[in-house]
Amino acid sequence: MGKNRKPIQIVILLGVLLLGGYAVGKTLFASDDGRPAVGKEAPNFTLLDLNGQTHQLSDYKGKAVVVNFWGTFCPPCVTEMPEFQRMYDKYKNQSFEVLAINLSENDLTVSNFVAERSLTYPILRDANRVIERRYGLSQYPTTFFVNPDGTIQDIFVGGMSEQDIDSRVEQLLQS
Amino acid sequence: MSWIDFSGHAYLAAFVLYCFAFMFYVISIAGQRWSNRDSKRHTERWGRIAFFTSSVGLAGHLTFFFTRWYGSGQIPTSNMYEFMSFLAMAIMIAFTIIYLIYRKPILGMFATPLAVIIVAYASVFPKDVQPLIPSLNSYWLKIHVTTAALGEAFFAVGFAAGLMYLLRVVDYSRKDAKARKEQRWVEFTLYVIVVVIGFISIVFSFRGAGYEAHFTQENVMVDEQGQTITRVEQVQYDLPPIFKPYNSQVVSVDSFLGMNKPWFETPSWMNGINAGRKLNTVIWSIIAGSLLYGLLRLVFRKPLGAVIHPHMDGVKPSDLDEISYRAIAIGFPVFTLGALIFAMIWANEAWGRFWGWDPKEVWALITWLFYSVYLHFRLSRGWQGIRSAWLAVIGFVIVWFTLIGVNLIIAGLHSYAGV
Amino acid sequence: MFQNTKCECGHQNPPDTLLCESCGKPLVESDEPLEMRYDGVARRSQKRNPNPLDRVWSFFSSVRIAVIIIIITLIGAALGTIYPQGNNAAYYKETYGWSGELYHKLGLSSMYDSWWFVCLLVMIGTSLVICSLDRVLPLYRALSKQQIRKHLQFITRQKTSYVGTIEGDAEQWVQSFGNHLKRRRYKVHIDGTALLAEKNRFSRWGPYINHIGLIILLLALLARTIPHWTEENTIAVRDGETVQVTGTDYYVKNDKFTVEYYNEAELPDMLKQQERPKLYETKAILYECVSSCGEPGIEPELKEVKQYDITVNHPMSYKGVKLYQIGYDDEPLLQSVRPIIEDVKTGQQYGPFDLPMKNPKTSFEVGPYSLELKANYMEFALNEEGSPVTKSRDPKAPAFIFIVKGPGLDENGEPYMYFPLEKDKERFSQDKINQAIASKIQIRVDGMDNVKFSSYTSYLLIRVDRALPFVWVGLGICMLGLLMGAYWHHRRIWLRIDEGTLSLGAHTNKNHFGMRSETAWALEQMGITVESDKLDNGGYNS
Repeated sequence: MGKNRKPIQIVILLGVLLLGGYAVGKTLFASDDGRPAVGKEAPNFTLLDLNGQTHQLSDYKGKAVVVNFWGTFCPPCVTEMPEFQRMYDKYKNQSFEVLAINLSENDLTVSNFVAERSLTYPILRDANRVIERRYGLSQYPTTFFVNPDGTIQDIFVGGMSEQDIDSRVEQLLQS
Repeated sequence: MSWIDFSGHAYLAAFVLYCFAFMFYVISIAGQRWSNRDSKRHTERWGRIAFFTSSVGLAGHLTFFFTRWYGSGQIPTSNMYEFMSFLAMAIMIAFTIIYLIYRKPILGMFATPLAVIIVAYASVFPKDVQPLIPSLNSYWLKIHVTTAALGEAFFAVGFAAGLMYLLRVVDYSRKDAKARKEQRWVEFTLYVIVVVIGFISIVFSFRGAGYEAHFTQENVMVDEQGQTITRVEQVQYDLPPIFKPYNSQVVSVDSFLGMNKPWFETPSWMNGINAGRKLNTVIWSIIAGSLLYGLLRLVFRKPLGAVIHPHMDGVKPSDLDEISYRAIAIGFPVFTLGALIFAMIWANEAWGRFWGWDPKEVWALITWLFYSVYLHFRLSRGWQGIRSAWLAVIGFVIVWFTLIGVNLIIAGLHSYAGV
Repeated sequence: MFQNTKCECGHQNPPDTLLCESCGKPLVESDEPLEMRYDGVARRSQKRNPNPLDRVWSFFSSVRIAVIIIIITLIGAALGTIYPQGNNAAYYKETYGWSGELYHKLGLSSMYDSWWFVCLLVMIGTSLVICSLDRVLPLYRALSKQQIRKHLQFITRQKTSYVGTIEGDAEQWVQSFGNHLKRRRYKVHIDGTALLAEKNRFSRWGPYINHIGLIILLLALLARTIPHWTEENTIAVRDGETVQVTGTDYYVKNDKFTVEYYNEAELPDMLKQQERPKLYETKAILYECVSSCGEPGIEPELKEVKQYDITVNHPMSYKGVKLYQIGYDDEPLLQSVRPIIEDVKTGQQYGPFDLPMKNPKTSFEVGPYSLELKANYMEFALNEEGSPVTKSRDPKAPAFIFIVKGPGLDENGEPYMYFPLEKDKERFSQDKINQAIASKIQIRVDGMDNVKFSSYTSYLLIRVDRALPFVWVGLGICMLGLLMGAYWHHRRIWLRIDEGTLSLGAHTNKNHFGMRSETAWALEQMGITVESDKLDNGGYNS
């Protein structure tokens, strides 16, 4: 290598540092399997409600949003719905929204269900499990608490008590 | 007679011929002392006879392979029995190649028993031709398994030569601490080989006697829907149960030497109903092997290494060193190609990912890394000779772990049906 | 203290040179066979005070260090096989107890993408680059400018050497010897009474090419972490269904899924009575969405792009996207039924009408009857309060509640509960629930051909891996290097005749046994018989 030795050494060691740093850094900072996680942006969706109106998650930017995935076949989902209704009523005047996404069930099933209960928050209909997969769901119910800036503050898997919902909504509204 | 039956006969013939070849190699080496003629001619003559015999045996083995292939419609490498038989055949092929280069009969004295032991070990496993499940149904099966086995066969010959080097070089006349340490480690290696022989003998003995013991184990599991499922699993032991499975009930136990109840219970951390059976088999192998070893020690009145050592005089240590190195150097690219590259290509075609850190894949990588360490160490002067020999021995242990240990102890995508 | 590096032949060698670059005279006194690595050339210049840069470079240039890193990697990889990787903490605690818990806490449960394991791989990569560079360049220089007439000591201290006497004309002898060597594919160079014969030099580059291949492989592995260079998706498609691949515009239809099992005759005794799949395949159709993709309530417009029968080991491939068959489920689910309405009194049958399980219509006109679908349960059950609920989304026990209007029925309509599956009909006593109306009308399926099941769910893995070609290239180059280095050996023979004395030395990087045989053969051709063993000068094998 002779006189070119030193520059070549520097170039190579620099390259090692950059590539190696990148490689190690990836392991420390990413566990990017693409699924929504706390701190990451909540995936957008475009869904219809029971009246045929389109709702996009991005429509609600600037507001705190609770996205609750539910189905009539899931007892804890059913049990917690009145709690969400209570929250919705309580914070109605603030920058707050509840979106309940049904897990791809039949029209009739959902409309019958909703008619039997007085639920005033938007009930959205997922079809072919598309949005459920986009949100990486594995259990039901799963509820996402989304900050006004669109990032996920918390993900709760399982049925929620009034306490559970309350504390998280408070946090959302404070942020 | 069906092709498969015929293949069985060819296999038996090969086995017998290998045994004879082994005896002839022993005569060619050990008989040097007793022949009245010029010992070099004696060695050469018996060496030729032995090589001829082992080659005919290999021809028989190849016949077994191809007739079984034809008779079953699929290449005979899809279960443990078939694979081990193939490995033994590959070892004989590797040995034949190395022998043709170096022409040392003493290598045959170690390589043939290795092949014989593996053939016997293969026979412990169920022979039935198992029709291929869809993931194995690919031409990659032929390519990957055969090439990997061939690479491992060369490592086996390297191991044999390495062991020979140790037996040649370890000084049994010295009594100081360092020499004793070397003698003990060599003896341990030989002991392990005796245990393997013990395993084979004990399984065949009890199998021949038709011994059986049955247990059932109740497993309670919680499935995805939150329902508890109780499953009752059965296991059959072919050896008297020293260790019965954890938390199991006895269904029936054949009597052996007045023992008709299990003695101990497998600890709970050994998972699954087969864990108890495997532990039992391992314990029995150690018992049988130790008894056999003890017997040999009684007969010979000195360590087995010391028995073999005097017969190693006829060969230069540096030649053994080179044979061991050469075998591994030949085998390494073959192993890389078969066990890693072809495996990755096949995995990519079948499972959609070329590498998944599956235990078998990881251990194949470990084997590869180890032998690359071996090759790199040889660049350094101080590592040739006895250290290389020990590395060759350890490397082969790793190969065995990859083949047997992973299946036996670790579960994964890759396992063959086991014993 | 400076080493005297000027050779007696007049050539000035760099410090640390072991053999004179020009004539080959050993610069260090000894009786041992020569240190021939890299032809005795100085590999790197030794400085008095190595600066940090040099220190780091030396560290990675050392084979010993490389070996240690490989050994640590090896042991680390082995640790990762003790327990299955990638599960959550609860799994390890439950299945393996305290040892499992410890395993997980130490981070060993997902160690192959841990920072320290990747760090080891980075270090191996660095070592590959620096070790190779440090050695291949001096080696290339040394082999490119070789002298034909070497110093006597150089020749006689080779591992394979021979000294003897020659009769007759020296130059002619040398020419003749050279011609014999040419038959064995040596490149022969003659300088009067001195000869250099060389073959298979290319095999020396083998290890370096193999290292380059490994470097490319490691870089390709790194490239896979670039966003969107690899993508993976698993989908479950029922027979006849079309499913969107999440996050893409691709849709996959399972046109037909078939499983073929081995019949009893093909199975050995041990496996008889077991269902062993022989072949399972999905006749798949791949679509791309051209418009209305992702708009809710509107069916996307799809264009068919490829059709392929996917089986294990035979994935579908389209524009870098590959679809693999990874499994299937054979739980049969009801898809739709076509029931009739029977007037119990007259026996007259009306219909059949189409009743799919998924999104059925809400009103039907069947003969003189009109049905309005009031409620629909996929897996019917009664909860603790006795109210009807559905246990799941899959039609495992479907139930339909109709309000039926028509002849003989109340003008406001009467409720009728219909269970398409016989087992549910019995379990829930359909007739009893329906009470009065059951004696007037019956809704039932007439014949099994009016019942459609989808029995299979096919699991497909969809994958894109842009780094894959580079992986294969890297491995291919690595293999090439291994073949070059392991199966050919670089051999050189030097000889000189000084006043009737033949001095011959031979060197190879591997396989001295073969070198000796070949030298003995060559000498044999010139009438000199010597046993190849006798040519061995002792010392180490390489």
